[in-house]
Amino acid sequence: MAEAEERSAVDSGGAWTDELLSPSELFSVRTRDHKIPTRGQKEFLYDGSEEQVERLQCSLGEHWKLLSEERVERQGSLVKAEWKPEDVTVALKTPAGKFWQTMGYADEGKQFLLPEEALFLMECGSVEVFYRDLPLSIQEGYELLLGDKTISLLEYLVFSHLKRLGYIVNRFDSSAVPSVYERRLNLVHKREKQSKQQRKRKRSVSASRSNDISEGQPDSQDVQNRREKAGDDAFMEGTSSDSQKAVGMNYFSSSAVSSEEECHELPSNSEQKRPDWWEKKLEEAPSPGRPVYSKQSAGKCDLNKVLFPNLGRDCLHTNLEVPDACLLPSNVTATACDISSWREKLNMRQMRLTRREREELEKKKKYKRGVNEDKEVRACKNWQEYKQLLERRSQSSSKQRPAHLWNDVICPLVTPGQVSSTGDLLQQISVMQASHLVDDAVGLVEDACDKRITFDVYQADTAFDFKKSDPGKPYSRISVCSFEDPVPSLHTLKRLAQQSGDVPVTFAVVDNGDISFYSFKDFWLPTDVWQ
Amino acid sequence: MQQPSEEPERNAECSEGTSGEPTAVRQHESPPGGGVEPKEPLIQLYLADSIPLLWRSAHVKVARERLGVVGAAVGSLARQPRQNCRLSRPVQLLREEARFLLENGRAELVKALKPQNYEQEVQSYAHYLERNHEEQQKFALEEKKQVLKRVMEDKCKDGAAAPSSIQSVKDSLDSLESSFTFPCSAMMVQLCTARARFSYTPEERLWLSAELANPVDERQKVRYRVFSDLREKGYYLTSAGKFGGDYLVYPGDPLRFHAHFIAVCVPLDKETPLSDYLSLSRLGSNVKKTILLCSPSQTDAKFVHYTSIQWSGMV
Repeated sequence: MAEAEERSAVDSGGAWTDELLSPSELFSVRTRDHKIPTRGQKEFLYDGSEEQVERLQCSLGEHWKLLSEERVERQGSLVKAEWKPEDVTVALKTPAGKFWQTMGYADEGKQFLLPEEALFLMECGSVEVFYRDLPLSIQEGYELLLGDKTISLLEYLVFSHLKRLGYIVNRFDSSAVPSVYERRLNLVHKREKQSKQQRKRKRSVSASRSNDISEGQPDSQDVQNRREKAGDDAFMEGTSSDSQKAVGMNYFSSSAVSSEEECHELPSNSEQKRPDWWEKKLEEAPSPGRPVYSKQSAGKCDLNKVLFPNLGRDCLHTNLEVPDACLLPSNVTATACDISSWREKLNMRQMRLTRREREELEKKKKYKRGVNEDKEVRACKNWQEYKQLLERRSQSSSKQRPAHLWNDVICPLVTPGQVSSTGDLLQQISVMQASHLVDDAVGLVEDACDKRITFDVYQADTAFDFKKSDPGKPYSRISVCSFEDPVPSLHTLKRLAQQSGDVPVTFAVVDNGDISFYSFKDFWLPTDVWQ
Repeated sequence: MQQPSEEPERNAECSEGTSGEPTAVRQHESPPGGGVEPKEPLIQLYLADSIPLLWRSAHVKVARERLGVVGAAVGSLARQPRQNCRLSRPVQLLREEARFLLENGRAELVKALKPQNYEQEVQSYAHYLERNHEEQQKFALEEKKQVLKRVMEDKCKDGAAAPSSIQSVKDSLDSLESSFTFPCSAMMVQLCTARARFSYTPEERLWLSAELANPVDERQKVRYRVFSDLREKGYYLTSAGKFGGDYLVYPGDPLRFHAHFIAVCVPLDKETPLSDYLSLSRLGSNVKKTILLCSPSQTDAKFVHYTSIQWSGMV
């Protein structure tokens, strides 16, 4: 053991004390080897021979050398931190290094680390954590930073295992899981994407405007940007706001105009400039600042009074008049026109069918009847009467069901005409429904000793554009348990799947330091039918 | 390896049959073979969430080489912390391993006490840092001198070098003592793995650990008896959860040898369907290890029945 000379400074108890390195040893660490020696092939039989013993000693020697090596770092490259047990957090005293991209959080301008992150960084030799002016050793770190208030030792073993592999691991926050409704409406990412885009655009807008604006204006610029954003959000949610009016006014005051502004300009300004054709018949007077697309101001046209010209073959009208001005959009004008020239261009010839088409047509004539040829259908004047006719017909046909099938105690499972495809039929007559993990999972109650989700895991290749403020959907969620615990029950599985949303849950099982991952997946039995 | 192997057996005889009582014996009898053997310090076990951990590398070494207790490393390796192939301290022990060490009087359960004199501790640490800085500065200065001397010698040997460059090197060498700076940030600092005390602080010994000394249920009792029996026969044991059994049995140190058996602990009176044994033997043939069914005897406290399963032909 060349490196760590142990001071066998024996105290009265006869126990070893410190494993402190001397200054010369510390200085010579810079020339230490950084590679791990590879382990050779193992042997099968133990024969006690000398070569075997020698090889064993050699392997063991290497092993002790690696195991006893201490962490030695340059003082300047260590980040200093302090453990605050009352807040259960580690406060950084010097600025954070590269690890800040994926670990830690900021609060009121100061940088903090979660206890398990701090302990992992201590093990990596990046951070030196102090407590009451003394540096913590790794052992003291394990004793102080892991416990009931933070995370247990098993959870920390899983955490460090995943971090060493390169994953990004965060603590699970059940309130941050988007609900089924939000996911269905695809609200989660859309909102974030839009706000990002808008922020980007606004920056460029203000940059172009900076030339025009005098010195007194920059503050109002920021205020305006903020109000614009607020106005956009309000716009999206369909509520009216006075900020919209303010936005409209501000736009007038600046000289530069961008395309985005124009489209915002339109709703608030159009009411002042010209009457819109769809608002002709408003019951209430339009008030400025009200967004146009909301339901309250929707105009009502009386379509019964509008004449739509018939341009079909059977109509002899060829002259069309000028339509009413209220029917046209504001910047469109119309004149009277004669459509006879267009009619001539229509193909009015009889269709010449090929032989196959003729044969099909004859077949159809034999067995099918056009709906319009039915006298009773012609007698119907509107949709309501037609539907009533259909009802009557279906009822009458149902009385024609064969008695031996339908009058008995046991009758067919499906009425004819009830289903339209084989898949539907199978669905109708199935006895057992496939069950999925999230069925009936809402509202399952957690027991005190039940498993819980501890971590969110994100993949390593997203590290370069990982944002702590918006991590996105995790790769998986981890629940930690010991090998000696029983396999999780269906109750637990459903509860955790429900909690996790659409992210799969993985169980990290720790067996005396050895970690393996298990997950339960939904399985659909194959159906033999093309639906 | 003769003497140490005698001691644990004798200690086992002495302490066998006592359960839950203070078993940490500090002084043990000197071996009969004569010769004064230095008192071996006890291995210190720390409990984290009732999981026994070893922190000092000397303790890990003694446990493995002298007592055959292997454990599992769970901490990051100092040399390359961001990989999972080779791990380092702390070394986690099985419950049975910890109990084995305690009952043989080779280990003690320890808990840290708060330092008695805190200011003294802080002062000692400050002195330690200062001394480190001074010494390292000397080493750095010495190293720089050597480097400059070598450069000068090379230049002198090399005839084509201009005398002015040699002179400049000589000047810098002469002025080195005064112009050399070694800031604090360049100093190398140790991040200790095990607890480091800059002034003496005793650690409290825990005499009782109910979970380790008293097995909670039948299964743990059976496991412990099998463990101690196999260990005393000289086999090395590690956990075999991933192999579907209780222990992996190695003929020698797991570093150099493959495991021969997968030990599955089965109480004698347990009724097991044949399909369980079938699945076990399938497993064993897949991983090329023999399944060993271990059942402690209910009549003899020191005897364990072993049955191995082999998948073979009819005869």
